[in-house]
Amino acid sequence: MMQAYFEGKREASNIGMLVAGLIFGFAILGFLIAYGVAFGWVPLGERIDILRSDLNTIETIVTVVSLIYSACCLRTAYGLYSREQASLRWSQWMLFVTVMIGGAILLSVAIPVGLKFSLLLGQHSDLRTVIAADAGGLASMALSIGEALISICLFVIALVALLALLVFLIPPLESLRDRPGTRLIVSPPRKFIQAILAVLSVGVVCFLVAGAAVVPEFPGQTTIRDAENHRLLAGLLFFLPAFFAYRVVRQVEEQSDELRRALALTPGKYIRANLAKSPSAGAIIGFIAILMGFTMATDLFLEPSSVASFLSNVATKGVIAIGVTYLMISGEFDLSVGSILGVTALSFMNFMTHGAPVFGVVGPVSAALLAIFIAFILGAINGVLLISTRIPSFIVTLGTMLAFRAITLVAIAGGRILRYSDHHESLPVIGISNIVFLVLAVIGIGVVAFTAYRVLPALYRGASQAWSIRRDNGDFGTSGAIVRGAVFALILAILLAIVIWLVAVLSYHGSASGGQIVEVGYFDLFNGRVLQIGSEGDFFHMQIPRNANVRLAIVWWFIFVAIFHVVLTSTSFGNSIFATGGNEGAARAQGVNVDRVKLQNFVIVALLTGIAAIYETARNPGVDPLKGTGWELEVIAMTVIGGALLTGGYGSVVGSLLGALIFGMLQTGLVLVGIESRLFSGTIGVIIIAAVVLNTLVRGGQRN
Amino acid sequence: MEYKQKNDNALVDMIDIHKYFGSVQVLRGIDFHVDRQEIVGLLGDNGAGKSTLIKVLTGFHSLTRGQIFFDDQAVNIHSPHDARELGIETVHQDLALVPLMSIARNFWLGQEPTYEVGPFRFLDKKMMASESIQALADVGIHIRDSEETVGTMSGGERQSIAIGRAVYFGKKLLILDEPTSALSVGETQKVLDYTIAAKEKGMSVIFITHNIRHVYEVADRFTIIERGHKLGDFYKSEVSENEVADMIVTGQIPERLRLYEEEEGGD
Repeated sequence: MMQAYFEGKREASNIGMLVAGLIFGFAILGFLIAYGVAFGWVPLGERIDILRSDLNTIETIVTVVSLIYSACCLRTAYGLYSREQASLRWSQWMLFVTVMIGGAILLSVAIPVGLKFSLLLGQHSDLRTVIAADAGGLASMALSIGEALISICLFVIALVALLALLVFLIPPLESLRDRPGTRLIVSPPRKFIQAILAVLSVGVVCFLVAGAAVVPEFPGQTTIRDAENHRLLAGLLFFLPAFFAYRVVRQVEEQSDELRRALALTPGKYIRANLAKSPSAGAIIGFIAILMGFTMATDLFLEPSSVASFLSNVATKGVIAIGVTYLMISGEFDLSVGSILGVTALSFMNFMTHGAPVFGVVGPVSAALLAIFIAFILGAINGVLLISTRIPSFIVTLGTMLAFRAITLVAIAGGRILRYSDHHESLPVIGISNIVFLVLAVIGIGVVAFTAYRVLPALYRGASQAWSIRRDNGDFGTSGAIVRGAVFALILAILLAIVIWLVAVLSYHGSASGGQIVEVGYFDLFNGRVLQIGSEGDFFHMQIPRNANVRLAIVWWFIFVAIFHVVLTSTSFGNSIFATGGNEGAARAQGVNVDRVKLQNFVIVALLTGIAAIYETARNPGVDPLKGTGWELEVIAMTVIGGALLTGGYGSVVGSLLGALIFGMLQTGLVLVGIESRLFSGTIGVIIIAAVVLNTLVRGGQRN
Repeated sequence: MEYKQKNDNALVDMIDIHKYFGSVQVLRGIDFHVDRQEIVGLLGDNGAGKSTLIKVLTGFHSLTRGQIFFDDQAVNIHSPHDARELGIETVHQDLALVPLMSIARNFWLGQEPTYEVGPFRFLDKKMMASESIQALADVGIHIRDSEETVGTMSGGERQSIAIGRAVYFGKKLLILDEPTSALSVGETQKVLDYTIAAKEKGMSVIFITHNIRHVYEVADRFTIIERGHKLGDFYKSEVSENEVADMIVTGQIPERLRLYEEEEGGD
């Protein structure tokens, strides 16, 4: 059909034109959504008042994404209309994206309804009678049907699982094994699984319908607004047509060699193949799912202040996770980071209050350097113990974890807390001349301008070339150039934002102090609230409250991630880390000094832990003897979620970043959704296992 | 004790090599040499000490007593890195490649090409990819994608890449430790081709195996080791395949060759 369409045959023009028209329709729909959101017709989440100037974060994102989407749809529709072969590939992608968008919109209605309804059901035992009385018989019937179907499905699944386990446990009885029933239980046929899933989804839909009818009826719970029902309509408009069109376009594969080649890499396959290459596939999927889930479940989640607080909470652990990732890739791991953190924090505080052995009481910067040096020594002890005794790192660091902890326990007598404020009247302050900020701002502008001048023209040429090539053969390999251009532009924009912030700081403090010297706390430089250093936060009409908990450690963390990512992927040191963990013998045979690599990694972990300890202490200038207890396992959890293999040889720094973000999002999100924070560790447990299973599944047979 | 080089023109001359692991005497005074551009089959039954001898030469083990001459120089080889500096490349039986790393990264492991940006050095990934594909193609190994991980490949493909890498980097001596033990007939033939390719490049090759059939075709000379001693050196013209096989199994030199050996030892 489609082949004939591209050859320009008259009788085949209907179907192609239909798809083109459909995609054009999507373009209009996307534009309408962008328009509606931007001008306040469709409010998403909480907003201060309905003026188009104060979009909240979700709305800003939705507007921008809808506009981009709409533009891509227009391009695709035009390509189909003018009968370019390559546009078929484009349309496949656009349809795929549309299905995803539709699904996301549908979920954004379903998740809050389901969540609120379940919470209601849990809280009110007499809800059923109330439903029958208030919401009418239909809702209560839907609820009963939904609940019945869901529980039947769960029961069947549990039954099959239990029977399979029993069959697996009991010794194979010859007569039993050959019965068809046994085979059905041990490996259920596809049809059976599909049937169960279908019944389950019908049940869930019934449940949701009941929820949608009931939740608004409850005083105090009426957060399902008309807007959410409008969203339901938009979601269906996107999802259903795109889904069927995608199926139709996929069938074209059969028709000619040329088209089959062009369509061999369907969006699903493309994404799967690329995910399989990435060590942190599970973390990426998990990150997106959890981010979307919480965003849909509660309006508060994407508020700048909650984003800032979850980032600040995990930034210090994230810094340690970078080092632990390195160590894990090289095939070892470190249980002693919590204790190292405690010792470093204690030393830092002690040097400032009681004095260092040789130097006496020192200032914050010297104290920080000395404390990090102590962390270096502790890491070196770990490494030397490991390579000289050849004991597994689990044992070595289990020992040092307990041993290092003794240092803080002995140094700070029973239950006391070493506080900075007990020894000094005020926090340490450094006077920075205005000129420093000015110079920094000028240097920043210089760097941005120079990079832009050097990089952007080439990137633009590459991207525009790729764009024009695509018109001819639909080769998706060229999209790399476009993505690169976009990413570099984004990086430049971020740099520019930092420069603007510096200038803002300058002007704010310049006018506030009236003089030449700006007073900044030392601790603020290590890990202060960024926006309190600067001016009133009002970035591009996005309201950022000034007391939002944006800590400077977040910035340091991202900088560390960038540096360590480059070192791991693009230097020979990084290569030798992978080789050391992947096959120690081979690494040694190729002349890699395996022992040195391991020692270096232990030292890197300790140094990063030391830096994290400084952040922690700067944020809260007091040290108790148990500081950092339990951090080692949390950090290992982040790293494992991020895709590092416990056996070594595989992992990524970006994965550890995602792992830490997932950790932070759960910590904040569960509270915001209204689920008890006591469930946090349980959720994390499930997430760890799910992430690792996902990683293994996506990677497929690659591991060997 | 002072040692003197016995074979004047040899690339490698190992003299009176002893290696004890505690009280276990694995090598008990072995003399072994490799001439320039020569393929030597190092033969012996399992546990005869072939691998230990080679690990002494490549710096994995330090020797208890004895001396190694390389390129007419007395050398002390303390680490695999030292051996590499001398121009010795080894393909080990069990520890050749890192399965979770890509072909290009495996190929360049330990001697990655870099470019400098200020004080920093970064991997030259483009060159790593193109050069590894080219270098492997030169010895007859054709790969699809240098970014593919080695773990996805078959045993023969992996062995090919390890050998291709050794041929590419090896300057003087290539050591193959049981390269064919896990390979199919076709793959074994390929390995033999690579061996000849290395010789034509001007390298010497030590081919370790306990299966004479794998090496008889390409080797110039056989050195047979038996329980830590050397049984003898035999040029291919002197012995038949079956005689060598018998010697490996029985540890006895046949009557016909014994006289010849004594004459050799005499001069």
